[in-house]
Amino acid sequence: MSEALLEMESPTTEEANGVTEETSIVNGNGLDAEALERGDLLAHDGVPAALISMRDIWRTYEMGTEKLHALRGVSFDVQRGEYLAIIGPSGSGKSTLMNLIGCLDTPSQGRYWINSKLVSEMEDDELARIRNQEIGFVFQTFNLLARATALHNVELPLIYAGVSAADRHERAQRSLRAVELGDRMTHRPNELSGGQRQRVAIARALVNNPSILLADEPTGALDSKTSIEIMNLFEKLHSEGNTIIVVTHEHDIAARAHRVISIRDGNIESDERIK
Amino acid sequence: MKLKIRSDIYENLMMAFGTLRANKLRSSLTVVGVVIGVWTVMAIASIISGIDEAVKKAIESFGTRSIIISKYDPGIRVGRRSREERMRKDLTYEDAMALRALPSIETSVPFLDITNNFFGAKLNVSANGKTSTAVRLQGTLPDYERAGVMVIGEGRWFSQFENDTNQDVCTIGSSVAENFFPYQSPVGQTISIGGNDFRVIGVFEPREQLGGGGSGSNDQNNVIYIPYNVAHKLKPDASQVTILAIAQAGHMDEALDQVTDMLRVRRGVSFKEPNDFGISTAESIISQFRSITAGVAVAMVAISSVGLMVGGIGVMNIMLVSVTERTREIGTRKAIGARRKDILWQFLIEAATLTGTGGLVGLLLGWVTTLLIRLFVPSYVPLWAPVMGFAASVGIGLIFGLWPAWKAARLDPIEALRYE
Repeated sequence: MSEALLEMESPTTEEANGVTEETSIVNGNGLDAEALERGDLLAHDGVPAALISMRDIWRTYEMGTEKLHALRGVSFDVQRGEYLAIIGPSGSGKSTLMNLIGCLDTPSQGRYWINSKLVSEMEDDELARIRNQEIGFVFQTFNLLARATALHNVELPLIYAGVSAADRHERAQRSLRAVELGDRMTHRPNELSGGQRQRVAIARALVNNPSILLADEPTGALDSKTSIEIMNLFEKLHSEGNTIIVVTHEHDIAARAHRVISIRDGNIESDERIK
Repeated sequence: MKLKIRSDIYENLMMAFGTLRANKLRSSLTVVGVVIGVWTVMAIASIISGIDEAVKKAIESFGTRSIIISKYDPGIRVGRRSREERMRKDLTYEDAMALRALPSIETSVPFLDITNNFFGAKLNVSANGKTSTAVRLQGTLPDYERAGVMVIGEGRWFSQFENDTNQDVCTIGSSVAENFFPYQSPVGQTISIGGNDFRVIGVFEPREQLGGGGSGSNDQNNVIYIPYNVAHKLKPDASQVTILAIAQAGHMDEALDQVTDMLRVRRGVSFKEPNDFGISTAESIISQFRSITAGVAVAMVAISSVGLMVGGIGVMNIMLVSVTERTREIGTRKAIGARRKDILWQFLIEAATLTGTGGLVGLLLGWVTTLLIRLFVPSYVPLWAPVMGFAASVGIGLIFGLWPAWKAARLDPIEALRYE
């Protein structure tokens, strides 16, 4: 926590105070008691010490007069350095959960902390900042800018982080070398194979040193041989200390993770450590 | 922070140029309206400024101390003169002489135009076997020299004595000299006017005139001045007298008042009535001309702004298409940390780059057009034209790009990422 605070810039210190206030409400709700029951560690003032903490998360969509509960009170923690797979059939609420973890969406109810920051209460632009600094997205269809070089694609998050051009170049190059694409920096996506494209996307996800690498069906558009390559890369990144969350519906992909959360009908069906 | 914003704009500019390059045909079709708008502004502005400058020079060569008094009101007239104007008395030689008595007037000379008579028959001018009816023939007094409008290049002006004794002498304009005496000095030669032989005693320097001058009777160097009395004798029925009064240096305003007062008294204009003669100065002619060019300029701005508006709507249309096409890109950018204002700026700058590039092309075309126009009429590009043209084109992009950019900025990242 203290380390996290040290990393924060002055405006976020105020947020941290806000978090403290919120926490008393958490105590009032008795949510922390539940958390303690589950054996979670708590930092001072009831702010969870885990990298990700979800507490009684609901996501409800209004379809006309009907209410559709995509998530029904999900709670779990993810510690730094974990390799987690979230698995579930389509319609299970898995994608909704991923959008929430990735801070693309906010819960209808419940509290969500990343790195001790209460993101469930944040506004659009604050969420954008969290996505930029805490989350590295890897998409099924890569989502690279077609006209930009691999290097420029990887630089993009740094542009939004306001990093200077020289610094950006250097960090993007380092990131591309880390995924073994040091010799493809000036290639455009259409000059790269599927596996290479996904590795560019992974380099982009890693370039900001995010807390979490969040991958949505990362092998969904790849053949099985390339899939294995990418999964090996994830393993390597995990061994280097990165926290990885993979959302998938394929069991053999989930089996590569060290922990699997299975979602069904908006609830956690199972949460088991497999390695 | 300031540095950061600048690098953002630079990044956005680079991205915008990339997008334009990728959609060359679409981009160029889109900005045609803007190109034409800016082009028109440039071309018309240069013509107006060129003509304006030329008119100013030509009229100033009239002399800044000159007051021209004529029977009719000065200025450009549409249709027939009013009855009151047509009924006016002619100005006279005596009027000119009377004005000389005014303290603010240095001198005053009458001009008797004998080019036309009432029935339109013209006096032939001939020499060296050539004949012309286009030469302007004016009788005046040697004091005209003091106006500094017509400057002797060779020979001399005729004298007051030559006027008083009805000598058949003349001073000729440079065009007359070139036409009739191309290979010899005209001074001392004989030229026939209306059948009477005149001795050429002086040739004028070419006078600077509007648009390099016309030809024939529009050419102000195609003129012959003869002594007033001789002109009167040559064409006794000629009555069109114009008076040139030259004010004492620094007394232009007084001179105008005094001349007006004196002529009103002499012509019996009653206290309540307006002047029954026209009075103009170089300054008044220029300002009259300016009011015409200002009108043209307003019309130009109106027309070209319609072009720019149409262009702007085209830009808005293409930006909306672009936003839709790039929904996934917007989703991706948002997912990796772009804030609303980042996306807003990206598309605003893209729209402004599109129209700004169009504006630059328009400026280039306008500049080339100006060079071409310069072959025929004087023209120069005043600084405000390209500055305003470029600013307007960028502004159009910003204004018409605002809505598409706002639409892009407001996209929900989840929806955008899901977009096929």
